[in-house]
Amino acid sequence: MSLDASVVVRLGTFELDVELSVEPGEVLAVLGPNGSGKSTLLRALAGLTPIDSGHVIIDGTVLDDPDTDTFVPPERRPIGVVFQDHLLFAHMSALENVAFGLRARGVGRADARSAASGWLDRVGLGDVASMRPRQLSGGQAQRVALARALAVDPALLLLDEPLAALDVSTRQDVRRSLRRHLSTFDGVRLLVTHDPVDAYALADRIAILEHGRIAQTGTIADVTAHPRSRYVAELVGTNLVRGVVTDGVLVTEAGARVVVAAESGPVFAVIRPQAITLSLGVDPNSSARNVWSGIVGDIDLLGDRARVGVDGPLPVVAEITTASLDELGLRPGDAVHAALKATDITTYPA
Amino acid sequence: MTSLQPGRRTRGRRQPLPAPVFALAMVAIAFFALPFVGLLWRAPWGSMLDVLGQQSVRTALWLSLRTSIAATLLAVVFGVPLAWLLARVPFPGRSAVRALCLLSMVLPPVVGGVALFFSFGRRGLFGQYLDQWFGIRLPFTMWGVVVAQTFVSMPFLVITVEAALRQMDRRYEDAARTLGGSRWYVFRRVTVPAVQPALIAGAVLAWARALGEFGATITFAGNFPGTTQTLPLATYLALETDPDEALVISLLMIAVSFAVLIGLRDRWLGGARAASA
Repeated sequence: MSLDASVVVRLGTFELDVELSVEPGEVLAVLGPNGSGKSTLLRALAGLTPIDSGHVIIDGTVLDDPDTDTFVPPERRPIGVVFQDHLLFAHMSALENVAFGLRARGVGRADARSAASGWLDRVGLGDVASMRPRQLSGGQAQRVALARALAVDPALLLLDEPLAALDVSTRQDVRRSLRRHLSTFDGVRLLVTHDPVDAYALADRIAILEHGRIAQTGTIADVTAHPRSRYVAELVGTNLVRGVVTDGVLVTEAGARVVVAAESGPVFAVIRPQAITLSLGVDPNSSARNVWSGIVGDIDLLGDRARVGVDGPLPVVAEITTASLDELGLRPGDAVHAALKATDITTYPA
Repeated sequence: MTSLQPGRRTRGRRQPLPAPVFALAMVAIAFFALPFVGLLWRAPWGSMLDVLGQQSVRTALWLSLRTSIAATLLAVVFGVPLAWLLARVPFPGRSAVRALCLLSMVLPPVVGGVALFFSFGRRGLFGQYLDQWFGIRLPFTMWGVVVAQTFVSMPFLVITVEAALRQMDRRYEDAARTLGGSRWYVFRRVTVPAVQPALIAGAVLAWARALGEFGATITFAGNFPGTTQTLPLATYLALETDPDEALVISLLMIAVSFAVLIGLRDRWLGGARAASA
């Protein structure tokens, strides 16, 4: 089972334009900030929002293609959707919710209920079958929503922020159980989320969606090691600089110069926050090839570490110990010098 | 701001109402209560059962119940789709159509009756064809009463259900469609249950309006005992011939209205509570 999608949707001034393919047995996470078009993408795949151009093909069956006037409405697509906030029907029991899809497809009442009961057992909720959604905990509601989506035996399972509606204390447990249940489903699985932890925990491959475009795709290790956008770099917690290298000097888009050990050409440079040292004056004996001055911005404390923003022509975040922070006596707005060895910069072609 | 001072707060949570507001509210309550007091005071308690037993009263009561329930059913059958159309389907002139459909709510009922008479009466623009082609005559029949009552009561249902449809979270309908529900199936199993509290409230309002309908009924359907003389008409007529009978019928209508409102109250409020939880 596979998904091949090229989706262009225009909503007012926003345009979503992405190409995606998900291979059999794969879980793809579309990761992006709010407003990046994640929900629009999901609605387009589900058929709730028709695409303006492109195509949506599942297992060789064309579901949406404006060029050939093909449009299969959501109720006739082989899909299951787990919505944000679960959207369980409040006037039905958990069992009736799970049976809904089968009933809608014309399965008899008794058969639908017994199949639904089997699905509730599979997600470990056989004992809450008669409860109404409002009586369920967030984690239980999430599993009922999953069972409801899977009960119709979809070829494509779509999950929209599946864990966002849960509070922090239950999220970890639910994430683990969701991971287990997802692994038993052999169709195409695609989830959209703004939470990198969910993406890492649940997906094999991630696609970064920003401003309606896919900025980067790859395995999680790949994307983490070689971020190609500031959004990803911030998710990973590192500094990303884009520029052009000429004769061992990288000139950023803002005009800052950084000495690097890299071939000439346009590159991304990753600067680990731990590799940057801060000082009040310039140390004449340092071997660091890059020394520049800046102004202290935000300071975040993380245990015995402090992440110090340094604003200037090359804005970066440096990570130092809180002991060093106290010794330097840094406060937002202070002048500071930052130093960095050229060999601590990882570069790769842009 | 004085309520924030510690000295005032220790006296308790209750905030004294401004005296003029309190006085006016009391007048309003008295205004609603006194007519009932007058009615109960003058009621011929001794001959109550005799009057209730009269064939004319029982006939009018039975007619009123049948016609007002029929009108409510018609209002639901046609009013819910109309509310759905007004709430969900954008079309040019929608606000004009809404105004037209709600007009009879603010119109003097007699005017509605006159309009019905000249449209669906035996010589009316459309009524003559109803008569010629189908042999259907509405004036002076029970169905005329039902038409008049539906005409004035349906807007109460439409306006209530439309508001609920606008407020409902439409993502539930999306979820139902991705589960394989056709539009009609989703409408029946998700949309209607979601607006059920409003539907019940709207139906009760419409029924109460139909039960009390006077002006359009007497204008369009006439005043014939047994066929078109409903309780309000009987009351008005009795006031001139037999005031005791008017009093008893009035009390009877109050009792019926009260019983229905109270009987529905628990389910109705219970439904609202369930939906918000």
